[in-house]
Amino acid sequence: MNTQAESETIIEAVLFAAGDPVPLEKLAEIIEKDKKTTAEILAAMQYKFQYSGRGIMLREINGAWQLCTKPELDMYIARLGTVRKKQGLTQAAYETLAIIAYNQPVTRAYIEQIRGVNSDGVITKLLERNLIREAGRDDAPGRPKLYETTEEFLRVFGFSSLKDLPPLGMNEIPEEVENLPVD
Amino acid sequence: MKSALTDACTIRLNNFEGPFDLLFYLIEKNKIDIYDIPISEITDQYMEYLAAMQELDLDIASEFLVMAATLLHIKSSMLLPRHDNETEEGPDPREELVHRLVAYKKYKDYAAILKEREVAWSRVHYKLPEAIPVIEEETELDVSPLVLRQCMVEVLNRYRERMNDDSRKMQRILDREKVSLRSKIREILGILSKGMRFCFTKVFSPLKRSRIEIATGFLAMLEIVKMGRAGVEQPVPFGDIYVMPRKPDGKQDGSGTERDVMRIEHPGRERNDN
Repeated sequence: MNTQAESETIIEAVLFAAGDPVPLEKLAEIIEKDKKTTAEILAAMQYKFQYSGRGIMLREINGAWQLCTKPELDMYIARLGTVRKKQGLTQAAYETLAIIAYNQPVTRAYIEQIRGVNSDGVITKLLERNLIREAGRDDAPGRPKLYETTEEFLRVFGFSSLKDLPPLGMNEIPEEVENLPVD
Repeated sequence: MKSALTDACTIRLNNFEGPFDLLFYLIEKNKIDIYDIPISEITDQYMEYLAAMQELDLDIASEFLVMAATLLHIKSSMLLPRHDNETEEGPDPREELVHRLVAYKKYKDYAAILKEREVAWSRVHYKLPEAIPVIEEETELDVSPLVLRQCMVEVLNRYRERMNDDSRKMQRILDREKVSLRSKIREILGILSKGMRFCFTKVFSPLKRSRIEIATGFLAMLEIVKMGRAGVEQPVPFGDIYVMPRKPDGKQDGSGTERDVMRIEHPGRERNDN
């Protein structure tokens, strides 16, 4: 049986090699511990990464864990000269994403009803960017396709899970983006 | 006012995502309470925008025109005098529009938050995954030469069978030509004329008959049932089918049979027979 310190070492190496988010179950399997213990180890690691002068931090995305650089170091990484900024989305894309995020799964008709405009092109763009995906079909006449957000959506917008979406209401729009990066 | 509007148009025209977006711009610009929109004023301004868009030769999306129609409709229904006998107030014609505007506004605001978050989190960098090969464990095969030999024999046997099969295929092609619905109907009527019920699945058993014969026999049985000369019974789904003779009501036996059969087989030849 590994000690906690050994487990942390193993997880760090595994996450570095993996690059992509690794599900909690997989990590538990690798360090041969149960899921609860593994989650505790990860939480401890996340805290340590955050507060002990490290350049990387630990993120949770939909029950999977991933290493990434700290946002405040972006300017230094940029000096590598290889950082490519992804092209931003259009206003229409953000609107459409917001509607899908809060009501998923939704049909195109629902999105268009709220936005008041045809949203074909925007949906195609979002599908291409892998921010949304098809999620089966609705039972309504014509069996229209349903759409939902992806893990990529959580990653790009810094959510750990859909539960993190800020509460939605006319008068309760949060004034500031949550503090980065530990929620 | 017109000039101010046109100015704004030239700057912002293309930025409107849709009619709601334009309406919101107008509402914010005029500092209007969304729950008490002066429809007449907003409609005028909205129409001016559309006119300006036309002047600039921009394509106006149909959604903008639909909204224009909606606004004009609301405006007109608010102008109509209310009947005196209507004591209770009808619904505010603006209600649905306001409802939709508020719903849209919610997501428009949230879109702005998403955008901020995206910018903030784009400063975070990830590493590409390593290509870690999946190691497949090799398992040793435990095969004796005898088993291999047996396999080879089986393969050869199968090959030989297939080669021999050609001649049988020829036989079957000849068979097929002989099977006609008419002959099968005759056959079944022949069995039925003995006055006993019989088991279809036994008489037309796959062991004794070719597939085409069974299929045709089945069709023949259905025809006979349709003619009212037999009844069928299948106690269990997918189980045996029993056929029993039945005299057609009010019809003479014998003379009807042949003609019925003829009609099924050769509709044109019936006249010659008579």
